[in-house]
Amino acid sequence: MSRRFTTTKPAVGAAATLLALTLVSACSPGDGGTSAAQVQPRDGGTLRVAVAREPECLDPHQSPTEAARLLIRPLVDSLVYQDDKGAIHPWLAAEWTVSEDRRTYTFQLRDGVAFTDGTKLDAAAVVANLDRVVDPETKSLLAGSLLASYDSAKATSADTVEVKLEQPDSGFLGALATPNLGIQSPATFKGDPAALCAKVVGSGPFRSDGGFTPQKGIEYTRNKAYAWGPEGAPETRKPRLDAISVRIVPDDAARSGALTSGQVDAATALAPTGLRELKDTPGFTVASAPFPGANYSYWPNTASGTLADVNVRKALRAGINWEQVVKNVYFGVYEPAKGVLSRTTPGQDASLAPAYAHDPAEAGRLLDEAGWKERDSEGYRTKDGKRLKVRHLWSDPSVETLAVQIQASAKEIGVELVEENLDGGTFVERLLAGDYELIDTNFSAPGPDVLRVLFSKDNIPTPERGIANNMARYDEPSVESAFEQALKAADQAEQHRVYTTVQKKITDDAAVFPVYSPLSSLAARSGVEGVGFTSDGSTDLTGIWLAS
Amino acid sequence: MAGILKTVPAGAEAPAGTGRIARLAAVRLAGSLAVLWGAVTVTFLVVRAAPGGTADVLLARSTVSPEIRAQLIAEYRLDDPLPTQYLTYLGRLARGDLGDSYALRRPVADVIGAQLPDTLVLIAATLALTVAGAILLAVAGARRRPWMRAVFGSAESLMAALPPFWLGLILLSVFSFTLHWFPAIGDSSPRGLFLPALALAAGPVAVVAQVLREGMLRALEEPFVLTARTRGISEAAVRFRHVLRHGLTPAVPLLGWITGSLIGGAVIVEIVFSRQGVGRLVLSAVQNKDLPLVTAVVLLAAVVFVVVNILVDVLNWLIDPRTREAT
Amino acid sequence: MRIRPGLWCSAAFVAVLVAMAAFPALFTAADPDAADLQATFAPPGGAHWLGTDENGRDLYARIVHGARPSLLIGIGAVALALLGGVAVGVASARLGRLADQVISRSLEIVLSVPWLLLVFLVVAALGPGSGPAVIGLAITSLPGFARVARAETIRLRAAPFVEAARGFGWSGAQVVLRHVLPNTLGPVLALATVSLGAMIVASSSLSFVGLGPQPPTAEWGAMLASSRQTLSVAWWPAVFPGVAITLAVLAVTALGRELHGRVEGRSA
Repeated sequence: MSRRFTTTKPAVGAAATLLALTLVSACSPGDGGTSAAQVQPRDGGTLRVAVAREPECLDPHQSPTEAARLLIRPLVDSLVYQDDKGAIHPWLAAEWTVSEDRRTYTFQLRDGVAFTDGTKLDAAAVVANLDRVVDPETKSLLAGSLLASYDSAKATSADTVEVKLEQPDSGFLGALATPNLGIQSPATFKGDPAALCAKVVGSGPFRSDGGFTPQKGIEYTRNKAYAWGPEGAPETRKPRLDAISVRIVPDDAARSGALTSGQVDAATALAPTGLRELKDTPGFTVASAPFPGANYSYWPNTASGTLADVNVRKALRAGINWEQVVKNVYFGVYEPAKGVLSRTTPGQDASLAPAYAHDPAEAGRLLDEAGWKERDSEGYRTKDGKRLKVRHLWSDPSVETLAVQIQASAKEIGVELVEENLDGGTFVERLLAGDYELIDTNFSAPGPDVLRVLFSKDNIPTPERGIANNMARYDEPSVESAFEQALKAADQAEQHRVYTTVQKKITDDAAVFPVYSPLSSLAARSGVEGVGFTSDGSTDLTGIWLAS
Repeated sequence: MAGILKTVPAGAEAPAGTGRIARLAAVRLAGSLAVLWGAVTVTFLVVRAAPGGTADVLLARSTVSPEIRAQLIAEYRLDDPLPTQYLTYLGRLARGDLGDSYALRRPVADVIGAQLPDTLVLIAATLALTVAGAILLAVAGARRRPWMRAVFGSAESLMAALPPFWLGLILLSVFSFTLHWFPAIGDSSPRGLFLPALALAAGPVAVVAQVLREGMLRALEEPFVLTARTRGISEAAVRFRHVLRHGLTPAVPLLGWITGSLIGGAVIVEIVFSRQGVGRLVLSAVQNKDLPLVTAVVLLAAVVFVVVNILVDVLNWLIDPRTREAT
Repeated sequence: MRIRPGLWCSAAFVAVLVAMAAFPALFTAADPDAADLQATFAPPGGAHWLGTDENGRDLYARIVHGARPSLLIGIGAVALALLGGVAVGVASARLGRLADQVISRSLEIVLSVPWLLLVFLVVAALGPGSGPAVIGLAITSLPGFARVARAETIRLRAAPFVEAARGFGWSGAQVVLRHVLPNTLGPVLALATVSLGAMIVASSSLSFVGLGPQPPTAEWGAMLASSRQTLSVAWWPAVFPGVAITLAVLAVTALGRELHGRVEGRSA
């Protein structure tokens, strides 16, 4: 909400920031990733990076933002590691067992791991971390909800941790793999929690003694003792740099200018124009991958108003030329979306794409059928003398161009999109009251579990509940029971099967208008090698090395 | 703006010497405290009157359980009645405790402390550039030939009319993005400061130069200039040593006013040049309804205002005997 | 008094601006909000003589149609500040020492907060848009008008014709309405004309940071803000709206100075 003013405006999807809550946790190396396999990785050097967004607080247990995950990943390790296919591998936990009822997990910790303050990693440290995340005192804005099924943890020996869940949760290990549940030195929990917003001590490949300064950035140096990288991770995840220097630069043009003028070696999240330009500029490379999770989409209010009528929703989905608009606005750099989940999300069902094709004739037929037959003097459709109006709420100026072009495209099928650009506070009030027809946002996440966040009736935003992410205000019993099934799923294949039925039902009900897949990207000068993307889709600074 | 002294009730018996200054200072101090209290109160009311609950705005980017929401509300005492919140807040301020930022979860004093140096350096650089630029422009343009005065006058009018954010945008894209002469990300090195200070100083330079030159042109008509010239002193020396001093008298009070307006202008220039500073901080704080942070920045700005005005008045009082009689 | 050619240019340009704001359709037939997805970033020349923006909207049409919101905020803020300032200033001068003190202190509070911060606060309370921008800017400039009005009222209190009116048995209110107000108006109007230029810059600055009229309204400051993202693709959207602001401020300021000079000359 503070989207209007925040310096954390995403270059990718706009309204996203609001709820760009990105749970996350599978590692997707970008398809645009540099292919430096032939070159021998080289140690040493300092990488200077301009980063677009900054976290309000560095502590991953407290902060929910993608910006925090990007900056925290070099500092903290997790119990387990999730690769780009969604598979879980050992990391700080050397091995683990799951009980028959899938409610007890027993982790055997790796030997010889130490935090950068010298404290040894032991079972008590892990228990202290998990208990801290769920403690209301921590005021966790995301990590706490990742552990929603958590009951308790105890150290059964010096290096064995037993975690009990209240109910089976097929997403538990994936949650543990996120930086938000990264393991920090328990010694730091005793001090002022505010201090953790600036300085975090973990067992990661890098350390930062100065910590994070808002609007300025953070300096990392290599953790020389580091010898416990995750299994199953690409070779590139081995730390090679001596140091990383991160500058926070919210302005797209400035990041791009800093990179081309040599003030920095790399820049995250450049605007599409910048990415397109640098791709073709000798001396620069661009690595990119769509964020896993829900695409940037327009979410129709399925509960009340004009779009409660499924035919009108289907007409908008078919009638607006979403693909052409995305090509225009993002210069062909962002992929038009053909479904609720992006193609890098494990469990995504690509077979539903035809339902999202542009078909203005079908749109006209559906609108006629829904009773919007007449036309007024300006060419908009009417019913009983009332114009077909759809109010789109937003509160982030960066969505303007897209909104204007979607509005123009809707006009072609006789639908008036009323653009309401609101301040953060009013936006929240209207969202909670359900007083809108369309809201836009994206939601990156490591797997299809994000569907529950977006479509479960328990996540409809209301004044009592506060902000939640079912902005479509979707409430469908068959989908609710599918969500329950997915939680109890014994393995990933079963879980994905259940979520395929959910994607089908949501498509049938036209409960989302996908627009494009937000792109995670790192543009760099040549010689910056080993760029990868972490589970949540953000750039992984850890494995980068400098060839020159 | 130099007017605070004038609001002191006139006509009181003027005690002599230090006693009078002490009394003046006491009245000024009381007045300043009232101003600060008013600024804090207005800020409190405005931030609370804004739509959307603080908790909702704070939690906008997150998914939290009801327990954590309750914890936040309890810890920041967001459910207390408004008068209680207000009094609690005033009480803490009076003890010098600015509180913790809601959004940044850190002591406000630390947060502002980390950003303040960069903003102050920018303002100082702008002031230095303003003084240097205005003097050069005024001295160069103080000619009797009408067409030359017209040229300088037009140039100054143009500088004063340029919106600083647009000037900044153009300077940045030409000299940083295209020519790479200056860094694209502003920092506090001389090279990093030059363009932002230039964008910010263009308007003030024009205003100060005009005032300076009017004074200088008046002084050029004075007999002492003729005397100096006949004594064979070079034209440049006449201008810099004698005439300029006369021109400075009306220009000095302007600097107080300019410092005040620069604090506002710095916000926009910091955004354009991706500089860290209080400006960008306050922009997000207002929207986050981060009351402790917003209030602290308002308080800081008000303190600067009060101090600058006292300094300007004292300077006036020392330089120009006529203002002493007015009090 | 000799009238300089520059002044004529300014007056003519202001007249054009006023006409643009009042009747934009006289200057362009193009719809400023009509997106043309086939003609994004058309360079200046041809059908779009100032080019098009990222939505294929005609820049010339947007600048013409942008005159109204861009200028109205400045004019509205000055007008509101003038009205409020005169009311406050006259009240301050005539309602006794206590009221005078209270008002003076309140004005100082307003002055003590940097203008942009103050507008931020107003916008935080009322939401972004033209109305809040006008109110915020008016509040920041009200103290100046109030001080001038107060000083004039105090000066006039002792003026012979006011004494004479009292002698005829006129009430205080009648004196204020018939004599004091009309006579304070000169200096106050002079101040208004010189502050208009600054207000236009201030309002475009607000739009630039996203606090002015909301998109897709064509407004010069907002147009510049959105041009930043695409500066590497097209320079024209980042240049022409800025030229429009600068020319408008130049012309308005030149006119204002002239009027100010005449008023000063007359009252001296």
